Formats: sequence, C-alpha cells, structure tokens
Amino acid sequence: MVLRAFKKVFHKPAYVAIGTMTSLTAFVFAVWLPNIGLVVDVLFSSGSLSERFGLPLSLLGSISTNFSIISEFYIIATAVLFGMNLAMIIYFFKRRSVGFSRVGATTGLAGTASGALGIGCVACGSGPILITAILVSVGAGTLTQFLPFKGQEFSVAGIIFLTASIYLTARQIESPAVCKF
Amino acid sequence: MKTGNLLIPLAVIVAGIIIAGTVYFRAKGNGDVLVSQTKTTTEKLEELENMNPITGDDHILGNPNAPIKIVEYSDFECPACKLFQNIMTRVMMSDYGKSGKVAWVYRHMPIDLLHPLNARKEAVASECAAELGGNDAFWKFANRLFELSLSNDDTDIKIVIPQVAREIGLDETKFALCFESGKYDAHIQEDLDNANATGGTGTPWSIVIAPNGKKYPLSGTQPEFAIKQLIDRASKGI
Repeated sequence: MVLRAFKKVFHKPAYVAIGTMTSLTAFVFAVWLPNIGLVVDVLFSSGSLSERFGLPLSLLGSISTNFSIISEFYIIATAVLFGMNLAMIIYFFKRRSVGFSRVGATTGLAGTASGALGIGCVACGSGPILITAILVSVGAGTLTQFLPFKGQEFSVAGIIFLTASIYLTARQIESPAVCKF
Repeated sequence: MKTGNLLIPLAVIVAGIIIAGTVYFRAKGNGDVLVSQTKTTTEKLEELENMNPITGDDHILGNPNAPIKIVEYSDFECPACKLFQNIMTRVMMSDYGKSGKVAWVYRHMPIDLLHPLNARKEAVASECAAELGGNDAFWKFANRLFELSLSNDDTDIKIVIPQVAREIGLDETKFALCFESGKYDAHIQEDLDNANATGGTGTPWSIVIAPNGKKYPLSGTQPEFAIKQLIDRASKGI
C-alpha cells in the first residue's frame, strides 16, 4: 500500500522536485545551523556571487567533520523523510480538498519539530543546537546533558514521527474517497 | 472546509515558525557554558569584539605578524578539537601558514560540564610546558597531548601528562611543581570567560581576524577547504 502510494506520488516529476528541493533545503539548513550567523553575514555581504556563495558552500563539507556519524544519519534521514512527507501531503491535497487525517498532520508536524530539535553537531558543549538554545533561554541549558543520549532522543523521535506520518498519508492516498453516511 | 483540513496549512505555518525559530534562537542562543540573553545576529557578531587582544603571552603558531590570525578556543578532552587540531596543522603546513599569511593562536576553553576531570588540568599542564620550554614547547605539548588523548575525560592524565612532558624534554621536577602550583588557574579561567564573552557555544570555537580588523566566527570543526575559503575571504576583508 505504501509502495503503491509512493509510485503514485513520485512518478510525477513535480513531486520528485518538491521532495528533493525540500530535503535539500532541510539538509543545507541543518548543516549550516552551527555557523548560521557567519553564513547569513556572508550571503548578504557585498562581493561577487562566487564570493558570497563560496564559503557557505564549502561549509557544507562540515557534514563530514562537524557531525558524528550518528548525527549525519539523523540529519540525512530527517531531511529525506521531511521532503517525502511534504510532497505526499501536497499530492494528497491537490487530489482531495477534504478528509486529511488530523492524526497524520499532527504526526508529521511532531516529526518535523522533533527532528529539528534533535539537530546537533559534534562540537563539544554544543549539544542539539535548537533544543539547547531553547532550554538556555529558559535558564536550563544544561538539561540535555543529563539525558541518556544528550538530546539525540529528539532526533530518533523525529524519524519515528515522520515515518508514521508518511505511512498515514500513504494510507489516505490509497484509500478511496467515499462519502460516509 | 472542515476543522481537520485546517490542520495542514497550520502544520506548514508551524513548521515555518520552527525553522524561523531555529535561526532566531541559534542567532541569540548559546550552549551549555553560556549566557542566556536575547541577541540578534548583529549583536552576536558584535560580541566578537570582546575578544582579548593578541599579545606576546599568547601561544602563536606561524608568523606573529601575519595579516590573518585564527584565534581558537579549545579543550584538550574534546574529540572535535582533536580533529580540528589536525586540520589546522594541515592549514599551517600549507602555503597559508608557510608564507606567513596566517597565524594560529591557541586559547583555553575547558568545558567543565563535559570534561570535569581532565580539561582544566591539561590546560594548566600546557601552560607549564610553555613556561618551561617556550612557545615551541607549548605547541609540541599540545600536539602530542591531543595525539595521546582518548577524549571525553577517558585520558589517564596521571600517566599521559608526565609522559608528554618527558617526551618533549621538559624538566620533570620543575614541570610537576608548576603543575601542582595552581599558578595558571586564573589564566585558564580568563580564557574561558573570554571565549564565552565572544559568543563561544562549544569547542572548538574560532575567530578569524582579517587584516582590516573584521572578525569572523567559526563554530565547530570545519573542513580544511572551508577554513581556507574563510582565510581567502578575510584577506579581502569582505
């Protein structure tokens, strides 16, 4: 059922493009996150296009140096699943204007949120970047260090939620649109 | 439209807010060793100006008068710093370092929360190496210590620190006296406080200084070609 839904959605180039672009955007954003201040400064600085994009592009290489193998997996998996999820949801809505599951939407949202919270680089003391920043803002920045996996629990939860959301969306794509009494 | 259908656009909006929030919090936020004030990206970049000036007391590899300087705040027990040490060594061994274009300044940022046992002691030991053997001894000590370090407080410093001191030819008695004296504790804390004041969120935390004085923040272990890109950009002062 899920495979049939995948075939329906992703045999259309437009949805492959949506999924790929979304995944790439999420991936690039996650890798830039530890140096987002520098990236923003460079992108909006004066200079030629190559001068403005050269450094940010080279910083993408930090996926191999600034993230542990497990973090690399989480980032790539979350980005790919997020892109697939969004493409499938858009496909569903283009076909039907009613009836999308509240559970599916909530699960997808939870997956995106949790995956984003779990992004973390290997730099010592940084921890998962977003969740640490949020906790710091409420005066509890060290809390993730007391979790068994230092906050990477959020990444795992994100992957589970996103996978569940894709499954629920696929099921809805495959289910016939019927009017119920 | 049914209420359930509103959930999807709502979900997209909330996801957007999450992403925007990520940028915002990252721009203003800090890590575990840090302050919790609200800061914009501009304010964050302005924090770099809090960096203590480079003086003769700093540990400098390369041409001290190099037009571009990379000031690194580091922790001997940090595995990311260990990798960054290798990368920076390669940068300094390349034309960037050999030509005198770039100097590398090492400062301390021991993260007590993660490495409460060893990080500060190793920082003190490196200062003792510098006191007894000068700048060259500091860099020999730092490189060898990173080589032998198991990271994350797993290093047996009772064995490794004296071993490194011996290997690089320091007077072991004087080294032990210095190490136990506590004379560099305040200096280590001063480096750590300065790292935090400049917006450091974890180690390695680096600040690249251009010839025109502009400062660029660099968080984490970046690949060699990215560091060279940043050096090229700094040399143009843009």
